[in-house]
Amino acid sequence: MASPALAETPTAAPGPRRRPRRPDARRRDHLIGWLLVAPAVAYFLVFLLHPALSALYYSFTDWDLRTPARWVGLANYTDLLFDDVKYPHFWTSVRVTLQYTLIAVPLTLVAALVQALLVNAVRRGSNVFRLLLFLPVVTAEAAVGAIWRWLYDPRYGLINSVLELFGVPGQNWLNTPELVVPALAFVSAWQCGISMIIYLAGLKGIPTAIIEAATIDGAGPVQRLRRVVMPMLRPTTFYLVVTGVIAALQVFGLVYVIFSGAGRSVTGGPEQSGLTYVLHLYLFAFRYDAMGAACAMSFVLLVLIVIVTALQFRFVRREAA
Amino acid sequence: MSRTIAGVTVTAALLAGLTACGGGGTDAAEGRTLTYWTYQDRTPQAGQVLEKIRKDFEKANPGVSVKIVKIPKDDFNTKLGSAVAAKTAPDASVLDQPLVSKYALDGTIKEVPAGLFPDGTYFKGALDTNLGSDGKYYGLPVDQTGVALFYNKKLVPTPPKTWDELKQVADQVHRAHQDVAGMVVPKGDGYGAWMFPGVVAGAGGEMADVPGKKILFDQPPAVEALHLWADLLPSSPRKITDSDKPFENGLAAMQISGPWDVPTIREQFPDLDFSVAPLPYKTAPAGNIGGENSVVYSTTKNADLAWKWLLFLGDEDNNGAVADAAGGFPVNTKATPVGTGPENEAFLAQLKVAHARPAVPQWIQINDEIIAPAIETALSGKATPRQALTDAAAKTRTLLGWNG
Repeated sequence: MASPALAETPTAAPGPRRRPRRPDARRRDHLIGWLLVAPAVAYFLVFLLHPALSALYYSFTDWDLRTPARWVGLANYTDLLFDDVKYPHFWTSVRVTLQYTLIAVPLTLVAALVQALLVNAVRRGSNVFRLLLFLPVVTAEAAVGAIWRWLYDPRYGLINSVLELFGVPGQNWLNTPELVVPALAFVSAWQCGISMIIYLAGLKGIPTAIIEAATIDGAGPVQRLRRVVMPMLRPTTFYLVVTGVIAALQVFGLVYVIFSGAGRSVTGGPEQSGLTYVLHLYLFAFRYDAMGAACAMSFVLLVLIVIVTALQFRFVRREAA
Repeated sequence: MSRTIAGVTVTAALLAGLTACGGGGTDAAEGRTLTYWTYQDRTPQAGQVLEKIRKDFEKANPGVSVKIVKIPKDDFNTKLGSAVAAKTAPDASVLDQPLVSKYALDGTIKEVPAGLFPDGTYFKGALDTNLGSDGKYYGLPVDQTGVALFYNKKLVPTPPKTWDELKQVADQVHRAHQDVAGMVVPKGDGYGAWMFPGVVAGAGGEMADVPGKKILFDQPPAVEALHLWADLLPSSPRKITDSDKPFENGLAAMQISGPWDVPTIREQFPDLDFSVAPLPYKTAPAGNIGGENSVVYSTTKNADLAWKWLLFLGDEDNNGAVADAAGGFPVNTKATPVGTGPENEAFLAQLKVAHARPAVPQWIQINDEIIAPAIETALSGKATPRQALTDAAAKTRTLLGWNG
């Protein structure tokens, strides 16, 4: 989280008439500069770098948060990956998270693009639509979870009522293992507001002249979308895919709220079908008192994210360019 | 990118910082101060109860002041853990039952001194939740709670007493009303796995024999208990019971739940005519147990006072009110419960025959990660109860390094 203020640090450019600056004046400027960025730097050091480095250290220990950490070397990592007695659901959580990412990211992008195109096409009151479509993003996760539990209710849920109108039998969405991940991904697509705004900005950035030229050349709306708009949006799409995948791999709040009823402990839905990676990590950190293992899990996730992102840069970006 | 990692550790660091200023027993010049951590008051009345007991204790022990620190339940364990790590643990605190054996194992808390209280002071089930894995007591119970059978009086005129009656009643209800389920069958989640031992005990079984290092939940009583739940499903389809509040909405004739549900249902569903009965059993009445214990920390300089305070919370005169304030039932056999009525009697009857969870430090994890999935596998029909539990028991033995 680099503060934008960093870019605006005043470095008073010497005026044309001014004499060359003396070294002590330059030193003072440096000092002022550092003072100005000090809050951001302090925040970074104390709340981001220090905890991250501590977590790296603790990932090599057996630590319950209470008694002194005991150095165990790579044991946490090897146990996580290979010991299915100690961590019976680790690979389940990896699979669930990858499935979720594979469904949620494309679904979110499509929803965001469609919404952006619609909002872009509206001539009057587009602000209102933008606000309405953005509302799911600013709604508290707890409220979102509670509302969607209702929408997915097998008996009273709106989703089943609508499906039944079309003759599709209602489903027990959140209690059927196969349907849990798609159901969660659908909620994330509903919350695509930020992607929608970014797509909208991308759309606004396409010069009207190009679109007009395409129209004059006889391109219909579909062709214009496929041959002009989509290619021009590629950098935007690439950015959204990369950030979307990173966010999807870390999904937590929604799952936590949806699967925790009153008095219920969260074990990740029916047959662990909603046990996402970070929920699994959270359980080990705060329910099973295995903070060392939880730290190791977070670094495994970090490595996974770095690999996935690097692959995207390597293969998708080349195509996007 | 590594927001998760940062998140976890930042939280930990913050908590450590926050709690550093929390506890610590100090010898004040004018007398002694005892620090006691407990959960945030459930209600304003609960706060008044505790305040009155605190004053009574100070009156009975001149020169002593008790400092009560109240912490929201959700953050309690984390804050407590950080305080212990930072050596700023209080003299005594409330502690969640399954954590007692964990804290006992690494010496965080003190063993109960011999002869602290006469035999028969506390209910056995509640007292046994204070066992360490070495078979010694490491805390005193404060209040206890458990689950019992809620039944809709219109659909179930007389509550079933035995497993056979339960199956029969559920079947009759569903036969008569196709859109009504006989019972809300618990799920294979952490909560269902917490209730399960009560049912196993109803067939005369236990989940484990801790001193003997034996896992017993693959034995006939547990298998039969899981069979019971599986057998109930045809007359209690998930399609009905997975909807919102099926029992409250009259769509399920029975459910297993705890005393916390009684006032909520009365308030939100005043038209529902229901009552509570002890859990049906196979060979002997039995139930599970939850609630709070209190423990004394090894770092305290006021151990004698701390035990005195814990005894005071659990004594015959105070425990009724204390337990009620904590949302549970008294643990002292002679204390008078605050609540009356048939529901309270059902829960009390249940708690007299309650069985504590096995005093295994890793029990929460075993409960969530091994037993719960086994229950779910059996209930979804992917394995028979025997297969599911045999498999789960084998995993548990490997995890604990037990051979029996």
